[in-house]
Amino acid sequence: MKSNGFWREKKYRLHLALLGMLLLMTHAALANSSLRVSGTLGAVGSDTMAGLVLRWGEALTARYPDINVQFQAGGSASAPTALIAGTTRLGPMSRPMTEEERQQFIDHYGYPPLELRVARDALVIVVHRHTPLESLTLPQVDAIFSSHLACGEIDPIRRWEALPATASWPYGRIALHGRNLASGTHGLFQQRALCDGPFRPDISEYPGASAVVAAVGESPDAMGYAGYNHLSPMVKALRLTDEYGRTVAPSEAAIQSGAYPLSRDLYLYVNAPPGETLPAAEQALLTLIMSDEGQQIIRAAGFVPLPTNDLETQQVW
Amino acid sequence: MKRRSPHTIREATWLRDGLWPWLCAACVALSLLMLAALLTLLVTRGLSHFWPATLEEVTLGSGDIIIGQSVREAPLPQNAGLERLYFTGNREITGANWRWVSVDDITQQSTPNDLIRLERTPWGDFIGRLIAVESEGQQLTGQEAWDHVKNALTMPPSQRANSELLLATADGQTLRQPVSGISHFQAPNAMSWGQKTYVWGQNVWRFLSQGPRAANTGGGVWPAIFGTVLMVILMSVMVTPFGVLAAIYLNEIAHQNRLTRLVRIGVRNLAGVPSIVYGVFGLGVFVYGIGGSIDTWFFSDELPSPTFGTGGLLWASLTLALLTLPVVIVATEEGLARIPDAQREGAVALGATRLEMLTRVVLPMATPAMLTGVILAVARAAGEVAPLMLVGVAKLAPQVPLDGEFPYLHLERKFMHLGYHLFDTAFHGEDVQAAIPLVYATALLLVLIVLALNLTAIFLRHHLRRQRGNEC
Amino acid sequence: MTPPRLPLSRQPLRQLQDRIATGLITAGGIGVLMAILAIGVFLLWETLPLLALGDTLAVSRLAPLAWGTLKAAIAAMLFATPIALGAAIYSALFMSARLRSRIKPTLELMEAIPGVVVGFIAGLVLAPWIEQHLASALLLIVWLPFSAILAGALWHIAASRLRPRLPHTWAGLWLIPWLACMVVVALWLAPVIEQQWLGGDLRRFLDLHYGMDYVTRNTLIVGVAMGFAIIPSIYSLADDALADVPPALMEGAQALGASRWQALWKVALPTAGPGIFSAVMIGAGRAVGETMIVLMASSNTALFSASPFEGLRSFSAAIAIELPEASPGGLTYHLLILAALVLFIFTFLVNTLAEVVRHRLRRRYHRLGVRQ
Repeated sequence: MKSNGFWREKKYRLHLALLGMLLLMTHAALANSSLRVSGTLGAVGSDTMAGLVLRWGEALTARYPDINVQFQAGGSASAPTALIAGTTRLGPMSRPMTEEERQQFIDHYGYPPLELRVARDALVIVVHRHTPLESLTLPQVDAIFSSHLACGEIDPIRRWEALPATASWPYGRIALHGRNLASGTHGLFQQRALCDGPFRPDISEYPGASAVVAAVGESPDAMGYAGYNHLSPMVKALRLTDEYGRTVAPSEAAIQSGAYPLSRDLYLYVNAPPGETLPAAEQALLTLIMSDEGQQIIRAAGFVPLPTNDLETQQVW
Repeated sequence: MKRRSPHTIREATWLRDGLWPWLCAACVALSLLMLAALLTLLVTRGLSHFWPATLEEVTLGSGDIIIGQSVREAPLPQNAGLERLYFTGNREITGANWRWVSVDDITQQSTPNDLIRLERTPWGDFIGRLIAVESEGQQLTGQEAWDHVKNALTMPPSQRANSELLLATADGQTLRQPVSGISHFQAPNAMSWGQKTYVWGQNVWRFLSQGPRAANTGGGVWPAIFGTVLMVILMSVMVTPFGVLAAIYLNEIAHQNRLTRLVRIGVRNLAGVPSIVYGVFGLGVFVYGIGGSIDTWFFSDELPSPTFGTGGLLWASLTLALLTLPVVIVATEEGLARIPDAQREGAVALGATRLEMLTRVVLPMATPAMLTGVILAVARAAGEVAPLMLVGVAKLAPQVPLDGEFPYLHLERKFMHLGYHLFDTAFHGEDVQAAIPLVYATALLLVLIVLALNLTAIFLRHHLRRQRGNEC
Repeated sequence: MTPPRLPLSRQPLRQLQDRIATGLITAGGIGVLMAILAIGVFLLWETLPLLALGDTLAVSRLAPLAWGTLKAAIAAMLFATPIALGAAIYSALFMSARLRSRIKPTLELMEAIPGVVVGFIAGLVLAPWIEQHLASALLLIVWLPFSAILAGALWHIAASRLRPRLPHTWAGLWLIPWLACMVVVALWLAPVIEQQWLGGDLRRFLDLHYGMDYVTRNTLIVGVAMGFAIIPSIYSLADDALADVPPALMEGAQALGASRWQALWKVALPTAGPGIFSAVMIGAGRAVGETMIVLMASSNTALFSASPFEGLRSFSAAIAIELPEASPGGLTYHLLILAALVLFIFTFLVNTLAEVVRHRLRRRYHRLGVRQ
C-alpha cells in the first residue's frame, strides 16, 4: 500500500502529541504538588441545592484541581434512593430524611448516615410583580393550594376575587404552579403549608423551580411556590402571616432566625461509616462548607447562612 | 426515488383551479415562515448576548441613581405606561441583580464612558466605576489603573499580583475587589465598533471554550460540547459495524423470503419507536442489569459506590447506538439495493468468493450510503435528550471523561450534554432571567451542529446519486 | 481493479475465509436483530410483576396519562396534518421543479431541529406570548387561510402583466412576505376585535360565558410545538407518495377536460391515498412518543379534561421525570415501564400498519406500470 508512509507519519505525530500532553500534565502536577487532594465527588439529590453544590464544586476544583465533582439533580427524594442503592455517597436534600428513609439506610448499611445542616432556605409564595397582593395567611395558602383544607380554612379559594386585595384585578381563576412529586420542595410545602393535605390536582407541575418562577413571572393571574434562591425580577414574594398574627417578609434575617414560617434547613447526607476517616475529597468539601468562604458561597447562591453557633456545633466528623 | 419531470402548467389551467391551490401554497409558505422565525429568533437572541451592551446611568424622580444594562421593556397594568428592566449587578450590596424602573419616572439618562462591568466570583457581575487600584501599597488612578487591571487579567487568577480594585457603585458606595476574583473586565461605553466586535468574538470564543461558572448560569459550554461529541463518536464506533453487518446480512446473505421481509419491516419500525423507550431499556438492562453485574464481579471493593452500575458515558452511547441502529441499517440497505446485480454476478463469474465479492465490489460501492447513514445517525443522536436523562447525563461534570489518568477514557463517568444543559439551565437554573440568553446561545449551537451534520448527509447523498448516475 | 492472481493451492484457504466471514456476518446480523427484539422482551418481562398483582391501581394511575398522551397527539395532528398535506400537494403537483428541489430538503431539515430546542421555545417564548395575545393567536387560525385565499383572488384579478413576475409555481416562496405582513395585520386587528365584541379580554370572556380556565402551558401550545416538529415527516412521505403518482394518470384526466385541482382530487389523491395515510400514521407515531416537547411545553397535570386551554401529562414526560427517582423493583418503576411498553407497542403497531400500506401502494404503482 502506498499510503504506508503517511500512516507512519501520522502515528509519529500522535506519539509527539501524547508526549507533549504527558509533559504538560507532569508540569501541572508539579505546580500543585502541595495540594494532592484528589478524587471524584458524585452527588445525587435536591435540585434546589444544585446551585449550591455546583458552586462548592467550582470553589473546590479551583483549590484542588484533581477533585472531580459531578452532580445529578433529580429532587430530594432521589438522594436516599441513591445513597441506599450506593450510586452516590453524598446526598444533598432540601428536607430532612423521613424516619422511613433513615431506617432503610440503617437496614442496608448498619449505621445511620451522617447528617449535616449546611444552610437555611425558605419556600416563598410568588405572584406576578404587578399583582396587588402583598401577604397571605397560612390557612389562605392552604385554601388556595390544597383540595382538602387540612389547615382549618372553611372555603377553598379558587379565584382572585375571593381575596380582598385582588377583588378588582386580576380576574378569574388563580393559575397555580408548583414542582413535581419527586422534589423536596413539593414534599415540604405539602407538609408545612398544607398541613399534610393533598395538593389540588390542577396545579401545573414543572421539573424545575426556575420554570415555576418563569411561568408565574409571565402572567398576572398566576401563583406558585419555589425556593427563596430562585426569585427573579419578574415575580414578587408574598409576606406570610403566621399563627401568632405576625406578618413576615421572606428577608434574610427572618429566614435565618426562623421567623418566616416556611423557612427550612438544607441538609447534606454523607455515607460515612463510623470510625473510618472520610476520603480526602469529602473531607475537603466538608471543611469548605463550614469555612467562611463556604458561607459566602451560600449567600452568593441565594441561600441564607446558618447562625454561627449552629455551624460550630456540627463540627463532628 | 425518481423525481417528477417538471410540469408546465399554462396560466389558464391555474386560473381554472380556483382558490384551493392557494391554500396549499400558503401551507408551504407558512411552514417556511415558522422555520425562518424559529431560526431568526435563535440567531438574534443567541448571538446578541455576547455583544458588549451599553451601560446606562439613570436618575429617577426620587433622586436615586442606578447604573445598568437595559434588558427589556414591558407594559404596566391598566395602561400606566412602560416599565424597563435594568440589570444592575452588585448583588452583595443591593441584594438583587435587577431593577424595574417605570420609564416615566426617569428624569435623566446618559451613557458615560467611565462605566465598567466586571465579572467576578462568587458574586457575579459588578457594574459601576473604577476609582483606583491598590497594588503593593501604592494607589494607581486613571490610565495607570486601567493598564494595571488589563495586565493582571492576562494572567491566570492564581498568579496575579495581590492587588485590589477600589470600585464605586451608582449611589457612591465603595467596594474593594481583589484582582484574583475577576474573570472579565470591560468598559463597553468607551469602546468603538471595532473593539466591540473584537470583544464579541472573544465572548463567543469564551462561550465555546470555557466551562460553566456560577452553577451553570454563566461561563461557557465546553464540557457539554466535548461530552456531546465524545458520546456521539463512541456511539458511531459502536453502531457502524453492527449496522453494516446487519444490513449486509439482510441484503446479501439471508434468503429473501417472508421472514426477511418481516424483519426488514420490523427494523424500519424501530426507527419510529420513541426515544424514551430506548432510554427505559438502557436504564433497565444496561445500567441496572449489566452495569450492576459488572460492579459485583469486577469492582466489588468499590461498592457501595457504583462504577458501572450508574448512568455513564458507556451506557449512554450504547443506548443511543441501539436507538440509531435502524437508521444505519436502513440507509446501508438502500445503498446495497441500488447496486446492480450485474456487478455481483460479474465478480462471482471472475472467480471471486462471496467475501471477495463483498469486500472488493459491493462494499466500496455502498460506502457513501453507509456514510450517509452514519451521519444521519450522528445527527439524530446529537439532538436526543430524553433517553440521556435516564442513562447518564450530569448537570455538571467539569472534568471531561477523557484525561491523562489511566485508562485515559473514563467510560463510567457521567458527562455533560448540550441538549440536557439547555433543558437544565432553562428549567433548573437559579435566576431564570439571567440564564435565558445563555439558553438561546446553547440552543443555537445545538441547532447549528445538528443542521451541519444533516447538510453533510444531504450533500453526500446528492453527490452519491450524481456519481451513480454517471456510472450507469 | 484487477484481483491479484492467486496460486491454486490457496483456493481452500479462500473458501475457508469465505465460510468464516459468512458465518460471522450471519452471527452479527442475527445478533443485532436479537438485540432489537430484546427491547420488547425486556419491557414485557419487567411489567409481568404488575400483571401478577392483578391490581386496578395500574389502570387508575395510567389512565390520565394515556388521555394526556392521546390529547397531545391529537392536538399536534390537528395542527400538522392540514399544513403538511397542503404543503405536500402544492410541492408535488404545482410547484416549479427547481423550487421543489430546494424547498423539500429545507422542510426536511425542520425535522432535525432537536425536540429540546422546540420545547424550550414553546414553553418559554410561545406560551407566555400566546397567554398575553390569545385573541391574536386564535384569530390567526382563521386569518391565515383567509389571507391565502385573498392572495389568490388578488392574483386572479391582477393585471396579466403582473402575473409572470409572481408566477404561481413559485407562490410557496413569495407568499412568505405576504403572510408575514398579514400576521402583523392580525396582531393589530385582534385587540380591536377583542375590544369591540369580547369585552376587552378574551380570557375573561371565555371564563364568564363558558367557564373555561386558561393554563399557561396548555394543549394548544403542545399542539403547535409538536405539530411543528411532525410537519416535516408527514410532508416528506406524503410528497413522495403524490409525486410518484404516474404522470400519465394526471395527464389523462386533464386531457379529458379536468382542471388540475380536479385531477388531483379525483385521480392523484385516491391513487396516493394509502401513501398519505401511512405518512399521517408515521406522524401520529412520532407525536405519541415525543418527550422533550411535551415535558417542556405542557403543564404536566394528570387531568381528564378536553379543553384545549388546559394542561396535560403524557406517558413519555412522566417517564422522563419520574423514572430516574423510582427505585428499581418498586411499584412506580414497574408502572413506568408499563407506560413505556404501551408506547412501544402502540408506535410499533402504527408504524407496521403504515409500512404495510406503503408496501401495497408501491406494488400498485408497479402494476400501473406507467413509470418510465
